[in-house]
Amino acid sequence: MQLNILAWRSLSRNRRRTLITGFSIAFGIFLAVTFTGSGDYSYTSMIDTGAMMGQGHVSVAAAGYNARPALSRWLPDPGPAMEAARGQAGVSGVYPRIMGQGMFAAGARNVGAVFLAVDPAREHAGHNFFVRSIVEGELFAEGDGRGAVIGAGMAEKLNLRPGKKVILTVTDRDGQLTSELFRVSGIFRTGDRAADSGFVLLPLDRVRRTLGYGSGGVTFVAVYLDDQRSANGVARELTRGLVSRQDVEVLTWRETQPDLSGLIAVDRLFNYLLQLLVGMIIAAGILNTMLMSVLERRRELGIMMALGMTPAQIVRLVLIESFWLGCLGVAMGIVLTAPWFHYMSQTGIDLSRLIGEEYSAGGVLVDPVMKMRLYRESGAAILAAVFMLTLAAAVYPAFRAGGIMPVDVIKEK
Amino acid sequence: MGDDMIVRLAGVSRVYMQGNIEVRAVDNLDLTIRKGEFSALCGPSGSGKTTILNLIGALDAPTSGTVSLEGRNLSALSRGELSRFRRDRIGFVFQAYNLVPVLTAYENAEFVLALQNVPAPERRKRVMAVLEEVGMAGYIDRRPDELSGGQQQRVAIARAVVSEPAIVLADEPTANVDTEAADTILDLMERLNRNKGMTFLFSTHDQRVMRRAGRLIRLRDGRLEADEAVQ
Ligand SMILES: Nc1ncnc2c1ncn2[C@@H]1O[C@H](COP(=O)(O)OP(=O)(O)OP(=O)(O)O)[C@@H](O)[C@H]1O
Ligand SMILES: [Mg+2]
Repeated sequence: MQLNILAWRSLSRNRRRTLITGFSIAFGIFLAVTFTGSGDYSYTSMIDTGAMMGQGHVSVAAAGYNARPALSRWLPDPGPAMEAARGQAGVSGVYPRIMGQGMFAAGARNVGAVFLAVDPAREHAGHNFFVRSIVEGELFAEGDGRGAVIGAGMAEKLNLRPGKKVILTVTDRDGQLTSELFRVSGIFRTGDRAADSGFVLLPLDRVRRTLGYGSGGVTFVAVYLDDQRSANGVARELTRGLVSRQDVEVLTWRETQPDLSGLIAVDRLFNYLLQLLVGMIIAAGILNTMLMSVLERRRELGIMMALGMTPAQIVRLVLIESFWLGCLGVAMGIVLTAPWFHYMSQTGIDLSRLIGEEYSAGGVLVDPVMKMRLYRESGAAILAAVFMLTLAAAVYPAFRAGGIMPVDVIKEK
Repeated sequence: MGDDMIVRLAGVSRVYMQGNIEVRAVDNLDLTIRKGEFSALCGPSGSGKTTILNLIGALDAPTSGTVSLEGRNLSALSRGELSRFRRDRIGFVFQAYNLVPVLTAYENAEFVLALQNVPAPERRKRVMAVLEEVGMAGYIDRRPDELSGGQQQRVAIARAVVSEPAIVLADEPTANVDTEAADTILDLMERLNRNKGMTFLFSTHDQRVMRRAGRLIRLRDGRLEADEAVQ
């Protein structure tokens, strides 16, 4: 039967109402894409930035490290972990690193800071926020040299410039106090006050020697992924391959940056609730439209039933009308949203005037440019939600239509 | 009890409650309609004509008694089964505004065949033949609101007969059109009755229409007042 034709004709009969309802669906899609798109973008950028601050999307450390980080918890042989990580699909970088806390002194002043020891031969600016943010001098070249890259805040506090000396005092693997001399090779400025005044990059081999880690020891192996969403999968694989052989733990960014993880979870929840609310309001509009259209057509629907359409077919007819209304809304939504989304994914809106250059959340620097990206599954979820809401909103009107008794309405005019 | 009996009402009553008052729209009625009849239900307003047509047409159920069509007791059927039964065995022509407003004359005439899933080429052949028969072949693309009342009724008749139902029920099919259009409609029904043996049962209170009927079933207060064959 030509239910589709009937549905289309009915929708085009009251063109204005159909277009208004279609537009409300389109507007809902616009909002959903905006909320979800900026969420997908900002969460990803926060997670990626967080990973670039040291520990990667996934890391392999000595068992117990995450609960109580200390230089005495170290991994003497990172080889198997690095090899296993390199063998995973979607891994874009694997770095052996040492991370710890120490005291940095120059002249009469000193300051406590976190240091990250890296191998300059491997390090890549795309995976290291501090290397990327160097504003003066450069990254030290030798792994066993004495170069150090410090934050601009610390440089100011200790009155340091490239070429100046700074002394690190730490407790080594055995808990003994020990000192090492470094020479500033570069200064970075991230924009985050805490990082700029309390973070130092040091050469890996030199720090190994200082701490007594032997030739290969590290705190963890940091693993970077093309797509942060595969963190759990990669961590699962690494756990399976490594934990039985070595006394290690495999951590994702969620565990190494619980503040960030919690912040994103809460933000995402509010985001969903807001979208749900918008969805409900739009669904109420669709329900109203469909119900009006059914009540206006009581006689016509009754005649069709008298002629032999079953109640089930009438129910289906109304649901099909609603489905096409949803399709119309999606088409209008695409027309409405595509240029906006294109602009927001390419250019974005610079909010630095509003929130200032420096803005960090969950210990991670936030990009002041608001942009969007939409994961394929987010797009699919929005589409699925639109059709589910559209059909759900039509269920009651459809059953009202199916419940019409032809005898009652044929008399009506 | 020949097998040419199409409709049989046995002790049928249809009682409505209007507030506390019981209205016997049809009161203990026995009636049979045979194949090929061209019968008219007549009687004053409120005598039960529409109620009887609705009962026979499986749109309404009797308060008591049985209505059977081609030997089947209608009260035994579910709502869905009744729909399919109407689709396959009954043709309807209502007093006015019969047509689905969003469909063209052609699509309206095709409606029942499409519900029956008759293949498109056969559907087209049959629909065009009937539209030709009712003189509406030149108006196939018109929407109902682009047709006169008489033309709408002719399309409704085409729709009612195209599926070759056991009986065509028409409730005052000429009440809303002028005399000329009424004559055309009656000519049409008569011709379909005579040439194709199609069974018609229609209601009217128009003397001119009654004169054309082959059988007059006179009602009063839901009861049979007279039942006469006319030459
Ligand atoms: N849905 C209803 N509820 C209550 N009473 C009804 C209902 N339908 C019909 N009646 C009553 O039943 C009686 C018969 O009505 P019916 O419509 O069958 O008469 P009719 O012969 O078709 O009249 P008319 O010539 O005016 O069309 C009337 O008294 C009417 O008021
Ligand atoms: Mg009547």
